[in-house]
Amino acid sequence: MFSSILTGGLNGMEAYLLRAEVDISHGLPGFCMVGSLSNEVREAKERIQVALKNAGFDLPPNKITVNLAPAHIRKDGTGYDVPIAVGMLQSLGYFDEKATDGILFTGELGLNGEIKPVHGILPIVRVAAEQGIKCCIVPKENAIEGSVIPGIKVKGVESIVQLVQFLQEESDDEKERILETYQCTLNQIRRSQSESEHADFAEVRGQEMAKRAAEIAAAGFHNLLMSGPPGGGKSMIAQRIPGILPELTDRECLEVSSIYSVAGLLDAEVPLITKRPFQSPHHTISNAALVGGGVRIHPGAISLSHRGVLFLDELTEFPRHILECLRQPLEDHKVSIARANGNFQYPANFMLVCAMNPCKCGYYPDKNRCTCSEKDMIQYWNRLSGPLLDRVDMYVETSRVDLLKLQGNGKEENTATIRKRVEQARSIQEKRFRKKNYTFNSEMKASDMDEFCNLGKAEKQLMELAYTNLKLSARTYHRVLKVSRTIADLDGSERIHEKHISEALLYRLTERNHGNNG
Amino acid sequence: MDKYLYWLDRVEGLGPVAKRNLIDAFGEAKNIFQASERHLKYILNDKKLQLFMDAKEQVEIDTAFEELQSKKIHMICFHEEKYPKKLIHIPDPPFALYYKGQLPAERLPAVAVIGARECSSYGEYIASELGKALGQQGIQVISGMAKGIDGISQSAALEAGGISFGVFGCGVDVCYPASNRLLYEELQLKGGILSTYPPGTTPHARLFPPRNRIVSGLADVLVVIEARQRSGTSITVEMALEQGREIYAVPGRITDRLSDGCNKMIKEGAHVFLSPEDFMMDLGALLPVQMDNLRKQQLNIEEKNDTKLTEKEDMMLSISEHRSEEDSISERIYQVLDFYPQSIEEIVEKLVKKYKLQVKQEEISALLMRLCLMGKIKQDSSSWFSKRSKCNYFYDTNI
Repeated sequence: MFSSILTGGLNGMEAYLLRAEVDISHGLPGFCMVGSLSNEVREAKERIQVALKNAGFDLPPNKITVNLAPAHIRKDGTGYDVPIAVGMLQSLGYFDEKATDGILFTGELGLNGEIKPVHGILPIVRVAAEQGIKCCIVPKENAIEGSVIPGIKVKGVESIVQLVQFLQEESDDEKERILETYQCTLNQIRRSQSESEHADFAEVRGQEMAKRAAEIAAAGFHNLLMSGPPGGGKSMIAQRIPGILPELTDRECLEVSSIYSVAGLLDAEVPLITKRPFQSPHHTISNAALVGGGVRIHPGAISLSHRGVLFLDELTEFPRHILECLRQPLEDHKVSIARANGNFQYPANFMLVCAMNPCKCGYYPDKNRCTCSEKDMIQYWNRLSGPLLDRVDMYVETSRVDLLKLQGNGKEENTATIRKRVEQARSIQEKRFRKKNYTFNSEMKASDMDEFCNLGKAEKQLMELAYTNLKLSARTYHRVLKVSRTIADLDGSERIHEKHISEALLYRLTERNHGNNG
Repeated sequence: MDKYLYWLDRVEGLGPVAKRNLIDAFGEAKNIFQASERHLKYILNDKKLQLFMDAKEQVEIDTAFEELQSKKIHMICFHEEKYPKKLIHIPDPPFALYYKGQLPAERLPAVAVIGARECSSYGEYIASELGKALGQQGIQVISGMAKGIDGISQSAALEAGGISFGVFGCGVDVCYPASNRLLYEELQLKGGILSTYPPGTTPHARLFPPRNRIVSGLADVLVVIEARQRSGTSITVEMALEQGREIYAVPGRITDRLSDGCNKMIKEGAHVFLSPEDFMMDLGALLPVQMDNLRKQQLNIEEKNDTKLTEKEDMMLSISEHRSEEDSISERIYQVLDFYPQSIEEIVEKLVKKYKLQVKQEEISALLMRLCLMGKIKQDSSSWFSKRSKCNYFYDTNI
């Protein structure tokens, strides 16, 4: 008997539908699986045979052939166990052929017949819904995750026995009783998670300048580099930036959750990412862990911080070749990983926040404590490549915090207040760029600058003066304009005024930092 | 200048004393070169004699000397007439001096200005003011052309039309640090570059302390502008004391590590440097003969051109003119600034304390940046600012 069961697979971030074809016929007894299978898929053979035996199903000594079609795509993961098992049982006549019509199966089998969770449910269910499939049967732990996709029924199953009961049943009510349909919307999950807030900005004492820079950076999605003496609160500020970013929209939420789903990092209880992600890899991170890769291609830290913040603490400690990897993703907002067995793309639209000490000893420009010579400074800054620094939109220095400020109970602004301003600036940008394919000031194309950053006479004069006196490069010039656009947006101002430009100039990365003047 | 002398100075392993003895015995360097081993034995011990004979075979006298001449490098030896008298009397005088340009004039006053390489804006300011004052008076400024205090005082002196001499810790044909290239060229025209090391010697840390004795040796008075407690500057001061030179130290705040060295010198008895004018008055008393010579010389020379605003400065001033309402805040910001860098947070705090001025941080940031663009203040690093030192048209010079 031949049967064909619908299931889903992952190729990088992209899910696709495929069929598990099973044939059981007379011949020399044996079990054979084909269809470009990786090791973990091949192991399914042993798992399925034992699981079915332990669940009380007899496998006759026949020739069993399994094919995962289309056969030319390489299959990874453990989600094919259940569809193959269902196909075998159907071929053996345990239930009717029509019982599996229009249902997508996925899940991993345990030796005792229970069904275990798998990665990538979100993208698989999404593709199934897009292609008009009516129902998905997924492991119970994954059911909530899948159910947020509208327009498709998602059922969670615990064991193969339960699944067979469901398939044998004919009345719809009984079916529903055996495997209930999960119904969960994004909003429900969001509400359940709202209590676990980000750390609050009010906890950061002093550092007004850095906080202001963080606010501007968040409003325009600009990349930010902070430098300052050790223990000044750089990391504290960075950790609080996701909190002042506007909430993820539904679309963004699914995008981010899909990445985490593929990486297998979703929580069974609250299986969606509803908060802006924050990734802070240690400087010993490997290339593959940062941009993605590995034996089984896995999204890296830059993809896990998609729509959120990638924070690189102690930037100068990162090996140069690691930092160079960031160049293409920073430009394209996605990363392409090419391997012998295919080309994988992961989204990587993140806000880069970096922190470093200003010099080797960490105290520049406090001349009382800093003993670094100019040569030391140049060497220190030369650890960072020019092209990377070129992609830093804003640079700010933190200073040592006064003891009085630390102890005092002066009111600091909290995250909610700052976020309100950021959200306002964001909505202005959305309106401005509604006809463009980008949404933030930081992404503004040079060709659109004339339209959106229109300067008056006095402002032009100021920019000219800055260009000559501060020796700005053409790139810095544009960067300053973009940042002043964001500052003006925060101010609610239609036009960019002189004060906006002056402030933006403060956050530029100076020549000195590039170490070019030695 | 003669090629045998040049050869003699380059013989390795012979100290200045041995070389002097040879000259005393043989009279001319050519005689030394041609002297037989038998004669030399009376003056050199066996080891030195061996080195001497080796050097005789290795070095191509003519080509080396031609190179020296083509680079316009002069050489002066201890026994020669033009050798600076001041150096004869210091302990351990060098056998030979190489120089480009001129040698310092003995009859005119010479002041050595030294200090830290990584100096603060305060140090920069004093260095340029002192350099300017010395330059205008025509007093010779002697220093090491290093980064920081050295270079700043020397360029200020040259800019004011003065004379300056740089003493190198490497060959006179090696510009170190390379960033002072312009000054290096200028010094050759309006003064000189001196070194005890043969041309081609590359800079090395161990070469610098010995050259410091030449800096103080060539000067009548030594001014220390900024120095940490333990620094190259303090080595120079020790040598100057040995040579019996007068020492002036610029006092600093006791909380500034860069002023520790100077303050300590004052405690130990150095003169206190109060202002360039005050210093000039002292010079008249300290060096009556030299200052008198200077006055006589200057009577013959026409008055210097008065300083004019350049075009660029004019433009900046015109831009600063048409603001009114923000001006008062800017003015106050300028008042709370100092010659050492302060962070924006500190500036905001001072404004509140001093003027009860409650202004948003971002506005102050914008105003600070504008002051920078007008050239009134300096952005030391992204959020740190200090007053500009070289900006004489803006601020009153009555220190």
